[in-house]
Amino acid sequence: MDLQSRAITWVWGLLVLITIGTGWLAPAAHTNHLAQASAPITVLVLGLALIKSRLIIRYFMEVRRAPRWLRLTTDGWLAALFGAVLVSYLI
Amino acid sequence: MSVLTPEQVSPTATDGGKRDVWWMTWFFPAWYGVFGVIICLLTRVTPPPRPDVTAAGKVAFFAQHHLTIQIGFTVLLVLLGGAAMTNGLVAYQMKRMSVGSAFAYGYLGGMSVGAIPGFLLVTVCFLTAAFRPDRNPELTSLLYDLGMLSYNGSLGCFSVAYLVLAIAILYDRNEIFPKWFAYISIWQIVTEVIATQMFVFGSGPFAWNGSIAFWLAVVVFSVWLGALIVLLRRAAAAEPVDAPALD
Amino acid sequence: MTQTDPATQLESTTLPGDINMWVMVLGDMVIFAGYFVIFMIYRSMNRQEFLHAQQHLNIAIGVTNTVILLTSSWVVALAVQAVRAGEFEKSTRLVLAGGVGGIAFMVLKGYEWASKIAAGHTNSETFYSFYYVITGVHLLHVLIGLIVLGVLVRELRNPAKRRPWMAETGATYWHMVDLLWVIIFALFYVMR
Repeated sequence: MDLQSRAITWVWGLLVLITIGTGWLAPAAHTNHLAQASAPITVLVLGLALIKSRLIIRYFMEVRRAPRWLRLTTDGWLAALFGAVLVSYLI
Repeated sequence: MSVLTPEQVSPTATDGGKRDVWWMTWFFPAWYGVFGVIICLLTRVTPPPRPDVTAAGKVAFFAQHHLTIQIGFTVLLVLLGGAAMTNGLVAYQMKRMSVGSAFAYGYLGGMSVGAIPGFLLVTVCFLTAAFRPDRNPELTSLLYDLGMLSYNGSLGCFSVAYLVLAIAILYDRNEIFPKWFAYISIWQIVTEVIATQMFVFGSGPFAWNGSIAFWLAVVVFSVWLGALIVLLRRAAAAEPVDAPALD
Repeated sequence: MTQTDPATQLESTTLPGDINMWVMVLGDMVIFAGYFVIFMIYRSMNRQEFLHAQQHLNIAIGVTNTVILLTSSWVVALAVQAVRAGEFEKSTRLVLAGGVGGIAFMVLKGYEWASKIAAGHTNSETFYSFYYVITGVHLLHVLIGLIVLGVLVRELRNPAKRRPWMAETGATYWHMVDLLWVIIFALFYVMR
Protein backbone atom coordinates (compact mmCIF):
# COMPACT_ATOMS: atom_id res chain seq x y z
CA MET A 1 0.00 0.00 0.00
CA ASP A 2 1.48 3.34 -0.96
CA LEU A 3 2.09 6.17 1.48
CA GLN A 4 -1.12 8.06 0.73
CA SER A 5 -3.31 4.98 1.11
CA ARG A 6 -1.63 4.09 4.36
CA ALA A 7 -2.22 7.59 5.75
CA ILE A 8 -5.86 7.44 4.69
CA THR A 9 -6.28 4.08 6.42
CA TRP A 10 -4.72 5.30 9.65
CA VAL A 11 -7.06 8.30 9.59
CA TRP A 12 -10.04 5.99 9.08
CA GLY A 13 -8.99 3.89 12.04
CA LEU A 14 -8.67 6.96 14.23
CA LEU A 15 -12.06 8.30 13.11
CA VAL A 16 -13.80 5.00 13.92
CA LEU A 17 -12.10 4.83 17.29
CA ILE A 18 -13.19 8.34 18.24
CA THR A 19 -16.73 7.64 17.02
CA ILE A 20 -17.19 4.48 19.06
CA GLY A 21 -15.55 6.12 22.07
CA THR A 22 -17.83 9.14 22.05
CA GLY A 23 -20.85 6.91 21.51
CA TRP A 24 -20.58 5.95 25.17
CA LEU A 25 -21.01 9.61 26.17
CA ALA A 26 -24.32 10.06 24.39
CA PRO A 27 -27.49 10.74 26.39
CA ALA A 28 -29.14 7.83 24.61
CA ALA A 29 -26.37 5.45 25.69
CA HIS A 30 -27.62 5.35 29.27
CA THR A 31 -31.37 5.13 29.35
CA ASN A 32 -31.70 3.81 32.89
CA HIS A 33 -31.57 7.30 34.32
CA LEU A 34 -32.38 10.81 33.15
CA ALA A 35 -29.49 12.36 31.28
CA GLN A 36 -27.87 15.41 32.75
CA ALA A 37 -26.40 18.28 30.77
CA SER A 38 -22.65 18.45 31.00
CA ALA A 39 -20.50 21.24 29.70
CA PRO A 40 -17.21 19.33 30.00
CA ILE A 41 -18.57 16.35 28.09
CA THR A 42 -20.08 18.56 25.41
CA VAL A 43 -16.90 20.57 24.98
CA LEU A 44 -14.99 17.30 24.67
CA VAL A 45 -17.50 15.94 22.15
CA LEU A 46 -17.39 19.12 20.06
CA GLY A 47 -13.61 19.20 20.19
CA LEU A 48 -13.44 15.62 18.96
CA ALA A 49 -16.02 16.36 16.25
CA LEU A 50 -13.83 19.26 15.14
CA ILE A 51 -10.83 16.94 14.95
CA LYS A 52 -12.82 14.35 13.02
CA SER A 53 -14.09 16.99 10.61
CA ARG A 54 -10.64 18.40 9.96
CA LEU A 55 -9.21 14.91 9.39
CA ILE A 56 -11.92 14.18 6.83
CA ILE A 57 -11.32 17.50 5.08
CA ARG A 58 -7.53 17.26 5.11
CA TYR A 59 -7.01 13.56 4.39
CA PHE A 60 -10.11 12.21 2.66
CA MET A 61 -10.88 15.39 0.70
CA GLU A 62 -7.14 15.90 0.17
CA VAL A 63 -7.25 19.55 1.15
CA ARG A 64 -3.80 18.99 2.66
CA ARG A 65 -2.26 19.33 -0.76
CA ALA A 66 -4.80 21.81 -2.10
CA PRO A 67 -4.17 25.49 -2.88
CA ARG A 68 -3.91 27.82 0.07
CA TRP A 69 -7.27 29.49 -0.51
CA LEU A 70 -9.04 26.17 -0.06
CA ARG A 71 -7.10 25.27 3.07
CA LEU A 72 -7.91 28.65 4.58
CA THR A 73 -11.57 28.52 3.54
CA THR A 74 -12.18 25.07 5.02
CA ASP A 75 -10.37 25.98 8.24
CA GLY A 76 -12.35 29.21 8.39
CA TRP A 77 -15.59 27.26 7.96
CA LEU A 78 -14.62 24.88 10.77
CA ALA A 79 -13.70 27.75 13.07
CA ALA A 80 -16.87 29.71 12.34
CA LEU A 81 -19.21 26.72 12.69
CA PHE A 82 -17.71 25.17 15.81
CA GLY A 83 -17.18 28.60 17.31
CA ALA A 84 -20.85 29.48 16.82
CA VAL A 85 -21.97 26.09 18.14
CA LEU A 86 -19.79 26.42 21.23
CA VAL A 87 -20.88 29.98 21.92
CA SER A 88 -24.57 29.14 21.57
CA TYR A 89 -24.09 26.20 23.94
CA LEU A 90 -22.10 27.99 26.62
CA ILE A 91 -24.01 31.26 26.71
CA MET B 1 -9.28 35.21 -9.81
CA SER B 2 -10.88 33.87 -12.94
CA VAL B 3 -11.11 30.19 -11.96
CA LEU B 4 -14.87 30.38 -12.39
CA THR B 5 -14.66 31.57 -16.00
CA PRO B 6 -12.34 29.26 -17.92
CA GLU B 7 -13.68 30.51 -21.22
CA GLN B 8 -12.66 34.01 -22.21
CA VAL B 9 -15.87 35.99 -22.58
CA SER B 10 -15.93 39.77 -22.55
CA PRO B 11 -18.68 40.78 -20.17
CA THR B 12 -19.51 43.94 -22.06
CA ALA B 13 -19.47 42.51 -25.55
CA THR B 14 -22.40 43.58 -27.63
CA ASP B 15 -20.71 42.57 -30.83
CA GLY B 16 -21.37 38.95 -29.86
CA GLY B 17 -24.88 37.64 -29.62
CA LYS B 18 -28.15 38.41 -31.29
CA ARG B 19 -30.03 41.63 -30.76
CA ASP B 20 -33.39 40.11 -29.78
CA VAL B 21 -31.66 37.83 -27.27
CA TRP B 22 -29.92 40.86 -25.79
CA TRP B 23 -33.26 42.66 -25.40
CA MET B 24 -34.66 39.70 -23.46
CA THR B 25 -31.44 39.38 -21.45
CA TRP B 26 -31.88 42.94 -20.20
CA PHE B 27 -35.60 42.47 -19.73
CA PHE B 28 -34.96 39.58 -17.31
CA PRO B 29 -33.44 41.59 -14.41
CA ALA B 30 -35.72 44.53 -15.19
CA TRP B 31 -38.81 42.36 -14.76
CA TYR B 32 -37.47 40.76 -11.58
CA GLY B 33 -36.66 44.23 -10.24
CA VAL B 34 -40.26 45.33 -10.69
CA PHE B 35 -41.46 42.00 -9.27
CA GLY B 36 -39.23 42.56 -6.25
CA VAL B 37 -40.66 46.03 -5.63
CA ILE B 38 -44.17 44.58 -5.87
CA ILE B 39 -43.68 41.65 -3.51
CA CYS B 40 -41.43 43.37 -0.99
CA LEU B 41 -42.47 46.98 -0.83
CA LEU B 42 -46.03 47.13 -2.12
CA THR B 43 -47.88 43.93 -1.29
CA ARG B 44 -45.65 42.93 1.68
CA VAL B 45 -45.73 39.21 0.95
CA THR B 46 -41.94 38.97 1.09
CA PRO B 47 -40.86 38.72 3.87
CA PRO B 48 -44.19 37.10 4.71
CA PRO B 49 -46.52 38.27 7.47
CA ARG B 50 -46.73 35.87 10.39
CA PRO B 51 -48.74 32.65 10.37
CA ASP B 52 -49.25 32.73 14.13
CA VAL B 53 -51.71 35.63 14.37
CA THR B 54 -55.44 35.63 14.98
CA ALA B 55 -58.08 36.40 12.38
CA ALA B 56 -58.22 39.93 13.76
CA GLY B 57 -54.51 40.28 13.17
CA LYS B 58 -54.89 39.17 9.57
CA VAL B 59 -57.75 41.62 8.99
CA ALA B 60 -55.51 44.35 10.42
CA PHE B 61 -52.76 43.34 7.96
CA PHE B 62 -55.08 43.80 5.01
CA ALA B 63 -56.39 47.07 6.42
CA GLN B 64 -52.89 48.43 6.91
CA HIS B 65 -51.62 47.55 3.42
CA HIS B 66 -54.91 47.85 1.60
CA LEU B 67 -53.88 50.42 -0.97
CA THR B 68 -50.43 49.11 -1.81
CA ILE B 69 -51.75 45.52 -2.07
CA GLN B 70 -54.30 46.64 -4.62
CA ILE B 71 -51.80 48.70 -6.60
CA GLY B 72 -49.06 46.11 -6.43
CA PHE B 73 -51.06 43.05 -7.35
CA THR B 74 -53.13 44.66 -10.10
CA VAL B 75 -49.89 45.81 -11.72
CA LEU B 76 -48.55 42.28 -11.33
CA LEU B 77 -51.62 40.86 -13.06
CA VAL B 78 -50.83 43.01 -16.07
CA LEU B 79 -47.13 42.23 -15.99
CA LEU B 80 -47.15 38.56 -15.16
CA GLY B 81 -46.69 37.60 -18.78
CA GLY B 82 -43.19 38.90 -18.24
CA ALA B 83 -42.49 35.89 -16.06
CA ALA B 84 -43.25 33.62 -18.98
CA MET B 85 -40.86 35.65 -21.10
CA THR B 86 -38.05 35.33 -18.57
CA ASN B 87 -38.62 31.58 -18.47
CA GLY B 88 -38.60 31.56 -22.26
CA LEU B 89 -35.17 33.18 -22.33
CA VAL B 90 -33.72 30.46 -20.11
CA ALA B 91 -35.42 27.84 -22.29
CA TYR B 92 -33.85 29.47 -25.37
CA GLN B 93 -30.37 29.13 -23.89
CA MET B 94 -31.17 25.56 -22.87
CA LYS B 95 -32.15 24.78 -26.45
CA ARG B 96 -28.64 25.79 -27.48
CA MET B 97 -27.27 23.02 -25.25
CA SER B 98 -26.22 19.71 -26.75
CA VAL B 99 -28.69 17.68 -24.68
CA GLY B 100 -31.72 18.34 -26.84
CA SER B 101 -34.84 20.45 -26.51
CA ALA B 102 -36.81 18.22 -24.17
CA PHE B 103 -35.02 19.66 -21.17
CA ALA B 104 -35.79 23.23 -22.24
CA TYR B 105 -39.48 22.40 -22.58
CA GLY B 106 -39.39 20.63 -19.23
CA TYR B 107 -38.00 23.74 -17.60
CA LEU B 108 -40.51 25.97 -19.32
CA GLY B 109 -43.41 23.71 -18.38
CA GLY B 110 -42.35 23.31 -14.78
CA MET B 111 -41.81 27.03 -14.20
CA SER B 112 -45.07 27.93 -15.94
CA VAL B 113 -47.13 25.53 -13.87
CA GLY B 114 -45.33 26.74 -10.77
CA ALA B 115 -46.33 30.35 -11.42
CA ILE B 116 -49.98 29.56 -10.77
CA PRO B 117 -49.63 28.68 -7.10
CA GLY B 118 -46.31 30.51 -7.14
CA PHE B 119 -47.73 34.01 -7.30
CA LEU B 120 -51.01 34.05 -9.14
CA LEU B 121 -52.95 32.47 -6.29
CA VAL B 122 -51.65 34.88 -3.64
CA THR B 123 -52.38 37.74 -6.04
CA VAL B 124 -56.01 36.73 -6.41
CA CYS B 125 -56.47 35.82 -2.74
CA PHE B 126 -55.04 39.05 -1.43
CA LEU B 127 -56.91 41.19 -3.94
CA THR B 128 -60.11 39.39 -2.96
CA ALA B 129 -59.40 40.00 0.72
CA ALA B 130 -58.66 43.68 0.09
CA PHE B 131 -61.79 44.02 -2.06
CA ARG B 132 -64.25 43.83 0.86
CA PRO B 133 -62.60 45.01 4.10
CA ASP B 134 -65.82 44.36 6.02
CA ARG B 135 -65.89 40.67 5.13
CA ASN B 136 -66.31 38.00 7.82
CA PRO B 137 -62.86 37.86 9.55
CA GLU B 138 -62.78 34.08 9.33
CA LEU B 139 -63.06 34.29 5.55
CA THR B 140 -60.36 36.95 5.41
CA SER B 141 -58.21 34.69 7.56
CA LEU B 142 -58.75 31.87 5.08
CA LEU B 143 -57.67 34.06 2.15
CA TYR B 144 -54.56 35.10 4.06
CA ASP B 145 -53.58 31.50 4.83
CA LEU B 146 -54.41 30.28 1.34
CA GLY B 147 -52.38 33.07 -0.24
CA MET B 148 -49.38 32.58 2.02
CA LEU B 149 -49.32 28.79 1.91
CA SER B 150 -49.56 28.68 -1.85
CA TYR B 151 -47.03 31.47 -2.36
CA ASN B 152 -44.38 30.13 0.02
CA GLY B 153 -45.15 26.44 0.10
CA SER B 154 -45.74 25.79 -3.59
CA LEU B 155 -42.05 25.86 -4.31
CA GLY B 156 -42.16 22.13 -4.93
CA CYS B 157 -43.63 22.93 -8.35
CA PHE B 158 -40.35 24.50 -9.29
CA SER B 159 -38.28 21.53 -8.14
CA VAL B 160 -38.78 19.65 -11.39
CA ALA B 161 -37.76 22.71 -13.39
CA TYR B 162 -34.56 23.06 -11.36
CA LEU B 163 -33.85 19.35 -11.71
CA VAL B 164 -34.08 19.33 -15.51
CA LEU B 165 -32.01 22.51 -15.61
CA ALA B 166 -29.30 20.90 -13.45
CA ILE B 167 -29.23 17.68 -15.47
CA ALA B 168 -29.15 19.58 -18.76
CA ILE B 169 -26.23 21.73 -17.61
CA LEU B 170 -24.25 18.74 -16.35
CA TYR B 171 -24.62 16.84 -19.62
CA ASP B 172 -24.32 19.84 -21.94
CA ARG B 173 -21.20 19.69 -24.07
CA ASN B 174 -21.69 23.21 -25.46
CA GLU B 175 -21.04 24.73 -22.04
CA ILE B 176 -23.83 27.27 -22.29
CA PHE B 177 -23.90 27.55 -18.50
CA PRO B 178 -21.00 26.57 -16.18
CA LYS B 179 -21.36 23.33 -14.23
CA TRP B 180 -21.38 25.05 -10.86
CA PHE B 181 -24.74 26.60 -11.73
CA ALA B 182 -26.18 23.10 -11.95
CA TYR B 183 -25.15 22.53 -8.34
CA ILE B 184 -26.68 25.83 -7.21
CA SER B 185 -29.91 24.73 -8.90
CA ILE B 186 -29.76 21.53 -6.87
CA TRP B 187 -29.52 23.61 -3.67
CA GLN B 188 -32.76 25.23 -4.80
CA ILE B 189 -34.39 21.80 -4.91
CA VAL B 190 -33.23 21.12 -1.36
CA THR B 191 -34.77 24.35 -0.07
CA GLU B 192 -38.01 23.55 -1.91
CA VAL B 193 -38.18 20.15 -0.23
CA ILE B 194 -37.75 21.81 3.16
CA ALA B 195 -40.55 24.23 2.26
CA THR B 196 -42.99 21.31 2.56
CA GLN B 197 -42.72 21.76 6.32
CA MET B 198 -44.54 25.11 6.01
CA PHE B 199 -47.80 23.23 5.75
CA VAL B 200 -47.18 21.66 9.15
CA PHE B 201 -45.87 24.43 11.38
CA GLY B 202 -47.56 27.68 12.37
CA SER B 203 -44.45 29.05 14.03
CA GLY B 204 -40.81 28.29 14.53
CA PRO B 205 -37.98 27.71 12.07
CA PHE B 206 -40.05 25.67 9.62
CA ALA B 207 -43.07 27.96 9.38
CA TRP B 208 -43.61 30.03 6.25
CA ASN B 209 -41.70 32.89 7.90
CA GLY B 210 -39.22 30.62 9.65
CA SER B 211 -35.45 31.02 9.78
CA ILE B 212 -34.84 27.76 7.95
CA ALA B 213 -37.89 27.37 5.72
CA PHE B 214 -37.98 30.99 4.63
CA TRP B 215 -34.91 33.11 5.39
CA LEU B 216 -32.19 30.59 4.54
CA ALA B 217 -34.16 29.66 1.43
CA VAL B 218 -34.42 33.32 0.36
CA VAL B 219 -30.64 33.68 0.61
CA VAL B 220 -30.13 30.60 -1.57
CA PHE B 221 -32.74 31.85 -4.05
CA SER B 222 -31.05 35.27 -4.27
CA VAL B 223 -27.72 33.61 -5.03
CA TRP B 224 -29.39 31.45 -7.69
CA LEU B 225 -31.22 34.34 -9.32
CA GLY B 226 -28.19 36.64 -9.25
CA ALA B 227 -26.02 33.94 -10.80
CA LEU B 228 -28.66 33.24 -13.48
CA ILE B 229 -28.83 36.91 -14.50
CA VAL B 230 -25.05 37.09 -14.86
CA LEU B 231 -24.88 33.78 -16.72
CA LEU B 232 -27.64 34.76 -19.15
CA ARG B 233 -25.61 37.81 -20.11
CA ARG B 234 -22.53 35.65 -20.62
CA ALA B 235 -24.45 33.14 -22.70
CA ALA B 236 -25.92 35.91 -24.84
CA ALA B 237 -22.49 37.43 -25.44
CA ALA B 238 -20.98 34.08 -26.34
CA GLU B 239 -23.53 33.30 -29.03
CA PRO B 240 -22.21 34.10 -32.53
CA VAL B 241 -24.26 36.77 -34.28
CA ASP B 242 -24.56 34.64 -37.36
CA ALA B 243 -25.56 31.42 -35.60
CA PRO B 244 -28.51 29.80 -37.33
CA ALA B 245 -31.90 30.45 -35.72
CA LEU B 246 -33.14 27.68 -33.44
CA ASP B 247 -36.22 25.82 -34.55
CA MET C 1 -0.94 19.56 10.66
CA THR C 2 1.35 22.18 9.19
CA GLN C 3 2.93 22.04 5.78
CA THR C 4 6.55 22.27 6.87
CA ASP C 5 8.19 19.51 4.88
CA PRO C 6 10.16 20.93 1.95
CA ALA C 7 8.62 18.55 -0.55
CA THR C 8 5.17 20.09 -0.03
CA GLN C 9 6.59 23.59 -0.19
CA LEU C 10 8.33 23.02 -3.47
CA GLU C 11 5.68 21.04 -5.32
CA SER C 12 2.71 22.97 -6.65
CA THR C 13 -0.56 22.37 -4.88
CA THR C 14 -3.38 20.79 -6.82
CA LEU C 15 -7.08 21.18 -6.47
CA PRO C 16 -8.70 17.74 -6.16
CA GLY C 17 -11.43 17.33 -8.75
CA ASP C 18 -12.58 20.60 -10.24
CA ILE C 19 -13.68 24.05 -9.09
CA ASN C 20 -17.34 23.42 -9.97
CA MET C 21 -17.66 20.60 -7.45
CA TRP C 22 -15.89 22.72 -4.84
CA VAL C 23 -18.46 25.49 -5.37
CA MET C 24 -21.10 22.85 -4.65
CA VAL C 25 -19.31 21.40 -1.64
CA LEU C 26 -18.34 24.69 -0.01
CA GLY C 27 -21.76 26.21 -0.63
CA ASP C 28 -23.48 23.15 0.76
CA MET C 29 -21.24 23.29 3.82
CA VAL C 30 -22.22 26.93 4.37
CA ILE C 31 -25.93 26.14 4.02
CA PHE C 32 -25.72 23.24 6.45
CA ALA C 33 -23.71 25.40 8.84
CA GLY C 34 -26.72 27.74 8.79
CA TYR C 35 -29.03 24.84 9.71
CA PHE C 36 -26.69 23.73 12.49
CA VAL C 37 -26.39 27.19 14.03
CA ILE C 38 -30.16 27.74 13.94
CA PHE C 39 -30.60 24.31 15.54
CA MET C 40 -28.15 25.25 18.30
CA ILE C 41 -29.95 28.54 18.93
CA TYR C 42 -33.25 26.67 19.41
CA ARG C 43 -31.44 24.12 21.54
CA SER C 44 -30.10 26.83 23.84
CA MET C 45 -33.67 28.04 24.36
CA ASN C 46 -34.98 24.55 25.16
CA ARG C 47 -32.07 22.70 26.76
CA GLN C 48 -33.93 20.28 29.01
CA GLU C 49 -36.52 19.47 26.37
CA PHE C 50 -33.87 18.75 23.74
CA LEU C 51 -31.76 16.70 26.14
CA HIS C 52 -34.69 14.49 27.09
CA ALA C 53 -35.62 14.08 23.45
CA GLN C 54 -32.05 13.04 22.64
CA GLN C 55 -32.28 10.19 25.09
CA HIS C 56 -34.84 8.47 22.90
CA LEU C 57 -32.54 8.31 19.90
CA ASN C 58 -31.13 4.96 18.95
CA ILE C 59 -27.43 5.42 19.71
CA ALA C 60 -26.52 1.98 18.39
CA ILE C 61 -27.84 2.91 14.95
CA GLY C 62 -26.26 6.35 15.26
CA VAL C 63 -22.80 4.91 15.91
CA THR C 64 -23.24 2.18 13.32
CA ASN C 65 -24.34 4.63 10.64
CA THR C 66 -21.42 6.92 11.42
CA VAL C 67 -18.96 4.05 11.15
CA ILE C 68 -20.62 2.92 7.92
CA LEU C 69 -20.22 6.34 6.31
CA LEU C 70 -16.66 6.75 7.57
CA THR C 71 -15.77 3.35 6.11
CA SER C 72 -17.55 4.19 2.89
CA SER C 73 -15.55 7.42 2.64
CA TRP C 74 -12.36 5.47 3.35
CA VAL C 75 -12.85 3.01 0.50
CA VAL C 76 -13.82 5.79 -1.92
CA ALA C 77 -10.63 7.67 -0.96
CA LEU C 78 -8.67 4.48 -1.64
CA ALA C 79 -10.51 4.18 -4.95
CA VAL C 80 -9.17 7.57 -6.01
CA GLN C 81 -5.64 6.37 -5.25
CA ALA C 82 -6.31 3.26 -7.34
CA VAL C 83 -7.56 5.32 -10.29
CA ARG C 84 -4.41 7.41 -10.18
CA ALA C 85 -2.32 4.24 -10.18
CA GLY C 86 -4.26 2.95 -13.18
CA GLU C 87 -5.82 0.09 -11.21
CA PHE C 88 -9.29 0.49 -12.67
CA GLU C 89 -10.79 -2.86 -11.68
CA LYS C 90 -9.74 -2.32 -8.08
CA SER C 91 -11.08 1.22 -8.06
CA THR C 92 -14.43 0.10 -9.46
CA ARG C 93 -14.78 -2.51 -6.71
CA LEU C 94 -13.91 0.08 -4.07
CA VAL C 95 -16.44 2.60 -5.37
CA LEU C 96 -19.10 -0.12 -5.44
CA ALA C 97 -18.24 -0.97 -1.85
CA GLY C 98 -18.64 2.69 -0.98
CA GLY C 99 -22.05 2.67 -2.64
CA VAL C 100 -23.11 -0.39 -0.67
CA GLY C 101 -22.23 1.56 2.47
CA GLY C 102 -24.43 4.41 1.32
CA ILE C 103 -27.34 2.05 0.71
CA ALA C 104 -26.86 0.45 4.13
CA PHE C 105 -26.90 3.90 5.69
CA MET C 106 -30.18 4.76 3.99
CA VAL C 107 -31.81 1.49 5.04
CA LEU C 108 -30.78 1.93 8.66
CA LYS C 109 -31.90 5.54 8.63
CA GLY C 110 -35.29 4.53 7.26
CA TYR C 111 -35.68 1.90 9.95
CA GLU C 112 -34.62 4.43 12.58
CA TRP C 113 -37.20 6.97 11.44
CA ALA C 114 -39.94 4.38 11.29
CA SER C 115 -39.26 3.20 14.82
CA LYS C 116 -39.10 6.76 16.14
CA ILE C 117 -42.39 7.68 14.52
CA ALA C 118 -43.99 4.47 15.78
CA ALA C 119 -42.82 5.39 19.28
CA GLY C 120 -44.60 8.71 18.97
CA HIS C 121 -41.65 11.04 18.35
CA THR C 122 -42.97 13.14 15.52
CA ASN C 123 -42.66 16.70 14.18
CA SER C 124 -44.69 17.92 17.11
CA GLU C 125 -41.58 17.86 19.28
CA THR C 126 -39.19 20.68 18.37
CA PHE C 127 -36.10 18.51 18.64
CA TYR C 128 -37.56 15.89 16.37
CA SER C 129 -38.79 18.44 13.83
CA PHE C 130 -35.16 19.51 13.45
CA TYR C 131 -34.02 15.91 13.50
CA TYR C 132 -36.26 14.77 10.66
CA VAL C 133 -35.63 17.83 8.48
CA ILE C 134 -31.85 17.89 8.88
CA THR C 135 -31.29 14.14 8.63
CA GLY C 136 -33.83 14.16 5.79
CA VAL C 137 -31.93 16.77 3.82
CA HIS C 138 -28.76 14.82 4.56
CA LEU C 139 -30.42 11.64 3.31
CA LEU C 140 -31.28 13.44 0.08
CA HIS C 141 -27.59 14.23 -0.24
CA VAL C 142 -26.73 10.57 0.33
CA LEU C 143 -29.12 9.64 -2.47
CA ILE C 144 -27.54 12.20 -4.80
CA GLY C 145 -24.15 10.82 -3.75
CA LEU C 146 -25.19 7.31 -4.72
CA ILE C 147 -26.13 8.62 -8.16
CA VAL C 148 -22.74 10.33 -8.39
CA LEU C 149 -20.96 7.10 -7.41
CA GLY C 150 -23.07 5.21 -9.92
CA VAL C 151 -22.04 7.56 -12.70
CA LEU C 152 -18.44 7.16 -11.57
CA VAL C 153 -18.65 3.34 -11.74
CA ARG C 154 -20.08 3.55 -15.25
CA GLU C 155 -17.26 5.80 -16.39
CA LEU C 156 -14.58 3.65 -14.76
CA ARG C 157 -15.90 0.60 -16.60
CA ASN C 158 -15.54 2.42 -19.92
CA PRO C 159 -11.87 2.40 -21.01
CA ALA C 160 -12.39 5.58 -23.01
CA LYS C 161 -13.63 7.53 -20.02
CA ARG C 162 -11.36 6.72 -17.12
CA ARG C 163 -10.17 10.03 -15.71
CA PRO C 164 -8.69 10.69 -12.26
CA TRP C 165 -10.42 14.06 -12.32
CA MET C 166 -13.86 12.43 -12.41
CA ALA C 167 -13.04 10.10 -9.52
CA GLU C 168 -11.68 12.99 -7.46
CA THR C 169 -14.78 15.09 -8.13
CA GLY C 170 -17.20 12.34 -7.15
CA ALA C 171 -15.12 11.45 -4.11
CA THR C 172 -15.06 15.07 -2.94
CA TYR C 173 -18.86 15.13 -2.92
CA TRP C 174 -19.06 11.80 -1.12
CA HIS C 175 -16.62 12.93 1.58
CA MET C 176 -18.75 16.02 2.12
CA VAL C 177 -21.75 13.77 2.81
CA ASP C 178 -19.63 11.95 5.39
CA LEU C 179 -18.35 15.21 6.89
CA LEU C 180 -21.85 16.61 7.37
CA TRP C 181 -23.03 13.39 9.02
CA VAL C 182 -20.13 13.42 11.49
CA ILE C 183 -21.28 16.84 12.65
CA ILE C 184 -24.95 15.81 12.75
CA PHE C 185 -23.92 12.82 14.87
CA ALA C 186 -22.13 15.09 17.35
CA LEU C 187 -24.88 17.72 17.57
CA PHE C 188 -27.92 15.43 17.70
CA TYR C 189 -26.75 12.14 19.15
CA VAL C 190 -23.79 12.78 21.40
CA MET C 191 -23.62 16.25 22.92
CA ARG C 192 -25.43 17.06 26.11
